[in-house]
Amino acid sequence: MQVSRGPTGGAMGGRALRAGFLLALLFVAGWYTWTAFTELNYLSSAGRLGPGFFPRLIGASLVLLLVYSFFADLRRDPPEGAISPYWRTAAVVALLCAVFVGLLDLVGGLLAMVAFMAGALWFLNRGRTLQSALVAILLPLALYLMFSVWLKATLPRGLLPLPF
Amino acid sequence: MEVLDHLLLGLSVALTPINLAYLFAGVMIGMIVGIIPGFGPAAGLAILLPITFGMDPTSAVIMLAAIYYGSMYGGTITSILLNTPGESSTVASTFDGYPLAQQGRAGPALVMQAVASFVGGTLGVILITVLAPLFSQVTRSFGPPEFFLLVMMGLATLIVMVGGHWRYGLISALIGFALGTVGVDLETGQTRFTFKSAEMIGGIDFIPIAIGLFGLGELYYALYMGLHLKGSGGIVRYDKEQRFWPDARDFIETKFSLVRGSLLGFAIGVIPGAGATVASLMAYSLEKSASPTPEKFGKGAMAGLVGPEAANNAASSGAMVPLLTLGIPGSASTAVLLAAFVLWGLTPGPLLMAQKPEFAWGLIASMYLGNMALLALNIFAIPLFVLMIKLPYRILAPAVILICTIGTYSVNGSIVETWLMFAAGLAGFFMRLYGFSPAALVLALVLGPLAEQSLRQTLTISRGSFGIFLDRPMSLWILAITAVVLTAGILMRRTRRGR
Repeated sequence: MQVSRGPTGGAMGGRALRAGFLLALLFVAGWYTWTAFTELNYLSSAGRLGPGFFPRLIGASLVLLLVYSFFADLRRDPPEGAISPYWRTAAVVALLCAVFVGLLDLVGGLLAMVAFMAGALWFLNRGRTLQSALVAILLPLALYLMFSVWLKATLPRGLLPLPF
Repeated sequence: MEVLDHLLLGLSVALTPINLAYLFAGVMIGMIVGIIPGFGPAAGLAILLPITFGMDPTSAVIMLAAIYYGSMYGGTITSILLNTPGESSTVASTFDGYPLAQQGRAGPALVMQAVASFVGGTLGVILITVLAPLFSQVTRSFGPPEFFLLVMMGLATLIVMVGGHWRYGLISALIGFALGTVGVDLETGQTRFTFKSAEMIGGIDFIPIAIGLFGLGELYYALYMGLHLKGSGGIVRYDKEQRFWPDARDFIETKFSLVRGSLLGFAIGVIPGAGATVASLMAYSLEKSASPTPEKFGKGAMAGLVGPEAANNAASSGAMVPLLTLGIPGSASTAVLLAAFVLWGLTPGPLLMAQKPEFAWGLIASMYLGNMALLALNIFAIPLFVLMIKLPYRILAPAVILICTIGTYSVNGSIVETWLMFAAGLAGFFMRLYGFSPAALVLALVLGPLAEQSLRQTLTISRGSFGIFLDRPMSLWILAITAVVLTAGILMRRTRRGR
């Protein structure tokens, strides 16, 4: 996706992205509704309203509203107008976050936290290496001690658990 | 007299050293949660819920409630000094708070907002003390039709009153209802939308969804808007020694604003779905229309700061009434509080105040003490919070992600829920970007099972007729109140659009 420069192109980019989001919602809502109608009974064996009653009501309303919204808003600019020039920053941080969640079960909570903080601060806090390094080590350590030692909460241990 | 006895019982619970310590910790954390832009009380409460696992239930809920109303105080500091509301309910405080700071009156503005928040919060708690037992008695006669209508009222009010397009608000609520149907159907035992996964049989826990939508989603949005590039450059400097205290004129000019804001805020807060944001915006409009000098509003009128501040704090107290007496949360934040109640085996509803008086009144009494602590904190610890504001977002953002992720994992030790939080974060970003309502989604997810169950029971009682909603006096009352609130909401929207 390119960052749009001109006002018209920018607004169109924003509209296209919103249309894509509405279509994604419509796809999921369509599946939900189809499942509600085909796999869940409207009435229970006792003749009362069954497990399919509410999902059918919700699913059908959702699909109708999404279809209407898709066409009604196709030519209308979204509230924020053009795509922000900082979309890459948000996308990279989201990607780092996904890698972080993926690393949790692989290397354990503490190492994954340090790796994420180091990556995120390298990206967001450029030029301040010492500050980033200190925060990337001390904050995860403090959180690890708080959750794991003080609160006795469950933290992922990873495939190669730490000895402490 | 009975109320006084209950209050004394509550004070005896709240004044124990351990509960006082948790109360103080709660208000401090609440202030910090309120100060961080894009990190609201709902996410803060959801993330901090696991911290309370080892506590006594009353202490835990006292601390969580303190975080909730403490955030209302904290959000205003950034509104005044940075022109950036710490959270949505303090948007109205930027209108006159920031101009006051620019005129060299940041000190008086900060003190007056603390006083207004204290008056609003305390008047709100006094009203809870008097009205909650009465509400509790009235709601004992509620059956499935009334509960269904109350859920609908809360969601409809939220959708109509709070910003964004109503159609997108409705879609958000329907998505929340749909997510609420995942898991085992309570009446027949049939599984629904579980993909045959054992983790999904218990349904979708709303904690990861709330953390994702309000924590990660808001954070991605803030980065998308370039907040990480802003340092503390926009912060207004203020002098702690000179011109810090407000003068007599400030108090004289705003004495009625304090009362008006508090009463209006409480009334709005009691209505499920309306909440502190609506209350503060309505209070601002009310103050402007009641002022002999409306032209000063937006340019540094103290009443324009004091009215909304009193209102949003009174509303946060008012929102505890439907939560305690009906078990119906009016906002995403109170939905997390409801989850905390349930987690501790407490069932909020008409019988809570009678069956667990030490808990209910301990919580109410702690709110008096919490508001006093917040008043002192807001006046004497301002420099500490100003330091927090100066913390750059480029460091704060990864730290918040870290806390969100680890906080989510630690609730149930589930990596599936952590991925769910991540997905909710992405969805929350797009919802925020296009004017959907994450609050309506979370509220519908929490209330979905109650809505479904009460609707099915209602239609079973009435043999399929929706006429039952018009046959019962209590249902008719709820319908009438809903109609009034929705009409007011629609008129408010039109007025806003007309400006």
